[in-house]
Amino acid sequence: MSDNQENEQLEQRLRTALRAVDPGEAFAPRLMARIAAEPARTARPARAATAASWLAFGLAASVVLAVILAHQWQVRRLEQGREARRQLLEALRVTDEKLNLAYRAVNAREGAAPAQHSGA
Amino acid sequence: MSGDQECTSGDLLTQALAGERAAFAALVRRHQRAVYSLALRMLSDRHAAEDLAQEVFLQLYRNLSAVSSEAHLAFWLRKVTMHRAIDRLRRAPRLESAAPEELAAAASETEPADPLLARRLRALVAELPAAARAVVLLRYQQDLDPVEIARTLRMPLNTVKSHLRRSLAQLRARLGETAVALT
Repeated sequence: MSDNQENEQLEQRLRTALRAVDPGEAFAPRLMARIAAEPARTARPARAATAASWLAFGLAASVVLAVILAHQWQVRRLEQGREARRQLLEALRVTDEKLNLAYRAVNAREGAAPAQHSGA
Repeated sequence: MSGDQECTSGDLLTQALAGERAAFAALVRRHQRAVYSLALRMLSDRHAAEDLAQEVFLQLYRNLSAVSSEAHLAFWLRKVTMHRAIDRLRRAPRLESAAPEELAAAASETEPADPLLARRLRALVAELPAAARAVVLLRYQQDLDPVEIARTLRMPLNTVKSHLRRSLAQLRARLGETAVALT
């Protein structure tokens, strides 16, 4: 017998050996009794699905809120940094002006002193 | 409802969707053989198979609105049965290789011309890994082609073909061993 014939024979035997069997007359009544006995359970998946969708919505909203808050915090920090930099530059400019004034005053005093000596 | 035989599954489905429990019961009677047989040959245990078949139909009752047609109903039932059976085998591996007396009890429900050979073949099929067993059952019990099997089990087509090829080779070899042992 060839391989093909052997396979065909085996396939035929499998069809026969595995043919469907009935669970019996009582199967459907038992199932319908279970369905009739638990009307509340049929409603539960709908409630569970609603709760799950609310939970998912809440989670998504929290994530969006967290991203917005983090973004605002970062913007505020940048603005504070810019303000601090501006104030530092302003302080340096004022100090520079004061130092220039002092320098000019010292120079002016030193320029006047030798003239007074030579005049005397 | 009088006599389910006069209604098509499509009619029954429409009536069941409208809330008629008698129509749903008629649908169950039409499909219980296919669902129970798949479960029985997957689990090799009559009680576990009946329990699984009942769970499948309960799930159908709760999700009936997801089923769109008669063909879809048959596809849905096969798919849910096989996935639930494979899940159950994963959770309770002791069912993977059923006790010989359970296999014999399952076998006694239907005896073909050569009962010994049929029983041996069923025992060998029960020893196949769960995925391969599912493919063999859908092919030789439900007469599905490899494309339909791939869709039902959400498995690549080449994997289905490979399971079929390897399972047949394995079954042939094991049957050969049995024949040699008997002579």
